[in-house]
Amino acid sequence: MSQLLARSPYGQRDDGQLLRELNDLTRHHRSGSPEYARIWPDATDAERLEDVPFVHVGLFKRIALRTKSAGSGRERAVLSSATTSGQSSRIFLDDQSAHLQGESSTAILKDFVGEARRPLLVLDSSRSLAQRREMSARLAAAMSLQSLATEIFFLLHSVDGPDNVRWDVVADVLRQHDDILVYGFTYILWQTFGAGRVPDEIRSLLRGKRIHFIHSGGWKKLEAISVDRDTFDSRLLSGLDPSSRVVDYYGLVEQIGVVYPLCEYGFRHVPVWAAVMVRDTTTLDTLTGDVGQLQFMNPLAWSAPYHSVLTEDVGRIVPGACDCGRSGPHFELVGRLPKAELRGCANV
Amino acid sequence: MSEHIHYFDAPHGATAVVLPFALDEMLEWWAGLRSRMIRRTSPAFSRDEWAYLITFLAPDHLRAAFTDTFGAAAADPGSSRLTHLARPRGPVALWLPNNVSLLGPLTLILLSLTGNPIRVKGGSHSEDLVNAFLGYIQGTVPESPLADYLSRIVRHEVFDRHDPRNAEMAAEARVRIIFGGDDAAQHIHALPHPVDSIGFSFSDRRSEVWLEKAAISDDTLVSLIKVFMIYGQAGCTSPARVVLLDQPPSAALALRERLLGLWPLARVRAVAPHQTSENIMARQWAAALGWDAQLAPANQAVLAIGEYQLTPIASNLCLPIVTASLQDAIEHLPRNIQTLGHAVHDPTSARWVETLARTTIKRFVPIARMHHFGITWDGFSFWRQAFEMVEIGARG
Repeated sequence: MSQLLARSPYGQRDDGQLLRELNDLTRHHRSGSPEYARIWPDATDAERLEDVPFVHVGLFKRIALRTKSAGSGRERAVLSSATTSGQSSRIFLDDQSAHLQGESSTAILKDFVGEARRPLLVLDSSRSLAQRREMSARLAAAMSLQSLATEIFFLLHSVDGPDNVRWDVVADVLRQHDDILVYGFTYILWQTFGAGRVPDEIRSLLRGKRIHFIHSGGWKKLEAISVDRDTFDSRLLSGLDPSSRVVDYYGLVEQIGVVYPLCEYGFRHVPVWAAVMVRDTTTLDTLTGDVGQLQFMNPLAWSAPYHSVLTEDVGRIVPGACDCGRSGPHFELVGRLPKAELRGCANV
Repeated sequence: MSEHIHYFDAPHGATAVVLPFALDEMLEWWAGLRSRMIRRTSPAFSRDEWAYLITFLAPDHLRAAFTDTFGAAAADPGSSRLTHLARPRGPVALWLPNNVSLLGPLTLILLSLTGNPIRVKGGSHSEDLVNAFLGYIQGTVPESPLADYLSRIVRHEVFDRHDPRNAEMAAEARVRIIFGGDDAAQHIHALPHPVDSIGFSFSDRRSEVWLEKAAISDDTLVSLIKVFMIYGQAGCTSPARVVLLDQPPSAALALRERLLGLWPLARVRAVAPHQTSENIMARQWAAALGWDAQLAPANQAVLAIGEYQLTPIASNLCLPIVTASLQDAIEHLPRNIQTLGHAVHDPTSARWVETLARTTIKRFVPIARMHHFGITWDGFSFWRQAFEMVEIGARG
């Protein structure tokens, strides 16, 4: 459904084609989602990427945006983890979108961890899979790696945290394989493999193995305990084969399927089937080089209008080419818009 | 501190008010602080809050608490006119929520004039403005009589709602004043307290603005923008909704255009980036739910036109505008209505008096005065009640 997905993720860009596909999606969502049509009643085909209408990321926490169309197949929802506001984003997926998004994330991650399929250890509970109509963002992220996996092993007895790791499963996999993928949310990955909880037997089995740790989900909890990236990476990679890697990727449930791994030089690269804009927080003018609010676009979102999303994350586009060799635009993630407490009376 | 008796004379009789200070001196102390405040601000307060605080501390304004309550100041009205003695009722306990607005410091200032000891429970999660204001006073005029007086009568503590000191405060107070949610107020009032004590709950309230087309002026609308933009929906005295009376829906569109045109004249403080971002979201949310929503200049707010039946948008700087008949407006008043800010032809006419009589509106004031705090609040003469009244009969 997207011609661009056939390309190498960081190869030759065709932003004209991307714009056409995004315009197709805008029309599709305006006809299939009355809410979206009311948000952008006068939208016409955009002539530039920056003119593609966006949906604010917070809206997915407030209302159920979904686009009805013929033959879209089964529908399920992916829920973000609750933020400090206590609200989760709810993103609806149909078969078509899920397929495209799976292709996308696989292609992007292959560029960072290689093509070889290998066992995937997931720091989550298999019980999460029992929810047929809903899926957590954490599990959705893990499942997006399944095409890179020969087998998937869930390592947690419950979804609550890393206090109940199935080390026996880890041991079995390590005895049989030398090359393994491990996925987890950043904090859980640290708690499991970085914070000194690995049993001696497992530590011994890990020695010399080639492991790619893939993580996402933010650093807030680790900053609170003063764990920086260097510490994180070095503790995870300690004793492993030198070709082992830690891949930290940034992704939003509202941009599911398009992930932004950190390259070796500290930047995040935009695949040819996506675009990123940086906007002034007050005027919404697009910025080049300055820090502002990040807007992401991709042509994979058919089930709901998240093909163009204004986030509350801030960052900047980095000019020039990246030394990692990936072409196309790349950006630096700076953080989130700072929040301040509302002052009022008794009613907030 | 020795007792000072002050006389006030009203048509129905005179009152002797006994205070632990000379009122003129006390007003001078506050005036001294006020002049410092003009030169040095506190970062804890917004520009609007600081300006209002300075206005509030004007000696004549503070004196009005006494004259509005007891009558004109009099040297000695003569024993034949004396009908009452007012004396401080006793310890006042003041509970404030985490995010309390300027109402906290304003209440403290008014209570300081009653001569009662005051115990304040501040918010347990963040610094409240009372704490910030007390800190400012101690830091700016540390050796002053005012700082000395406040350090003796005010005890400010921070603890949570489960702390045993809540019960201690309730047990020792003769007056309980609670800013907080309904649950918090119920919890505090349920604590054992003296049978002859009194309690006031300034709990969850909403306010509105009602406009009659003929009474709308540019000044009125600029006031509306200013008043709304101070606290947005978070303020209990902020307009949570604008009701344009007896006009067709098209008039709401015209009103919004006029508001947007006047926006620069309101000189609204810069809105934080996270708030402008939320406004962008709120505009989309409102539109998705059927409101005709538009962003104000620089994305500072959202003005959403619609009908009562539409789902409200829970976003701080989203201001709904509806058109309604007076009857509809009355029927759709929130259960917890507090202030009705008005721009109407004759607000003291029988039509409005009758309207107020049929509703639970607590304040009916011009829009510019919606946030003005006073000795009567939420329908309670709480300041007067901080005094115990002794009846004095001169003749049989």
